[in-house]
Amino acid sequence: MKENGAAHFLSIGTIAISFFLFAAFLLLPLNFASLLEAWEKKVQIILYLKDGVGEQRIIQLTGELRKEEGVREVQYISQRAAKESFERDLAGYGGVLKGVKEEIFPASFEIQMDERFRTPERIRALAARLSTIQEADEVQYGGVWLERFSLFLYTLRWGAWILGGVLVVIVISVTANTVRLTLYNKKGEIEILKLVGATDAFVKLPFYFEGGLQGVLGAGSSILLLLCLFHFFSRKVAPYVSLYFGELSLSFLPPVMIAWILGIGVAAGLLGGLLSLRKAARI
Amino acid sequence: MIQFFKVHKTYPGNIKALANVSFAIERGEFVFVTGPSGAGKTTLLKLIIRAERPDQGEILVNKRNLSRIKHSQIPQLRREVGFVFQDFKLLNNKTVYDNIALVLRAVGYNKKEIPKRARQVLKVVGLDERVLKQPPLKISGGEQQRVAIARALVNTPSIILADEPTGNLDPELTVEIMDLLEKVNKLGTTVVVATHNTDLVARYKKKTIPLYRGEMAA
Repeated sequence: MKENGAAHFLSIGTIAISFFLFAAFLLLPLNFASLLEAWEKKVQIILYLKDGVGEQRIIQLTGELRKEEGVREVQYISQRAAKESFERDLAGYGGVLKGVKEEIFPASFEIQMDERFRTPERIRALAARLSTIQEADEVQYGGVWLERFSLFLYTLRWGAWILGGVLVVIVISVTANTVRLTLYNKKGEIEILKLVGATDAFVKLPFYFEGGLQGVLGAGSSILLLLCLFHFFSRKVAPYVSLYFGELSLSFLPPVMIAWILGIGVAAGLLGGLLSLRKAARI
Repeated sequence: MIQFFKVHKTYPGNIKALANVSFAIERGEFVFVTGPSGAGKTTLLKLIIRAERPDQGEILVNKRNLSRIKHSQIPQLRREVGFVFQDFKLLNNKTVYDNIALVLRAVGYNKKEIPKRARQVLKVVGLDERVLKQPPLKISGGEQQRVAIARALVNTPSIILADEPTGNLDPELTVEIMDLLEKVNKLGTTVVVATHNTDLVARYKKKTIPLYRGEMAA
């Protein structure tokens, strides 16, 4: 590898970029999944009421809602409570709500679901039932975009594996080409080795080793690079993201996955070496 | 030691290299394989080390039938045969020491014994240890061929094959190298030299296998 430094450096660099993309694609759904889980826990249905619903009916509705399957908690928010909550949210904006009457704020029920029932399908079904209530003005839930997000994650996971497959082919090809270049440069040496009685293993093993080493160095470099970017993101970017999307609990690739990536790197490199040697038929 | 029985070899394009060649070389003999360019001399040497396979006929080398040996047995055959080329075929990106040590590493010599063995074989071919650190291009043509012979001898083969070993050397160096090969032969190694140099053959008066257009000449 010393003699062909530039070619090997380029090869390892290309492998590193390939595995970086693959590992990044694995990391995204991993963290998005935990984010999705955190968001799902906060999912609630808000049933906005029409104006003029009496106190008795509110008590009755509270009881009915609590009896619904999958409902863990029901909280009534009066018009006054809604205004006060809004005022708290806009505390830093001075008297922007001065003079605003509480009647413009709709009363609502905030409905928390049981964990087992926080699936998009069940949330949607409950929301559909609630919208049939006579006093219901509007039913809101984050289900639609959560469902889409869930689908996006599913697509991302599949995309990661397909991309991974393509990248592995690239890695094999890059390694095979670099090994072939080394083979060409060492043609004279190999000829002598074969003439003096070196076994096939003695001649070929260094090339397999070269291929495997390129693979593991490339894969290892990609993990290190990804780790650095992950740390940067966790420390510098994630706190700002949390302001808008809630607390982010980020995690890097688990050790098992890292071991798999390194293993695939070695295997792809070895395979590249093997394919290259097979093509050089006289070796 | 080396026996050819009615050996035929034709290359693709119907190029006849050897036809009906039969001979025997005994242990310890010094033999010239003679003939003009294209007579089949190099092909004959390649057949001995199984770098080519005959289309017909049988070849025995050290009692091994080359038509029947497995691919995995070829390295062992080649360890018994040293090869010297006209153009030396030394590795110019390595030192003389590395050129010789390469062979020893390839055949599994103990790492600690390699330096000692390299120095020993250099003595046999009449070179000073100082050349060990030099790359081949920094020594003379005669010295390079001596290094090539040293490399061929380092594993103590029973046979040395030399394909036009003096082809690139001046007359004086030619004599030096031939004298060295004679010395090697006197130590017990069978030597087969392929050459088109009739003066050389006349001077050294050894057994001759004459070839002409792939056939044994009269």
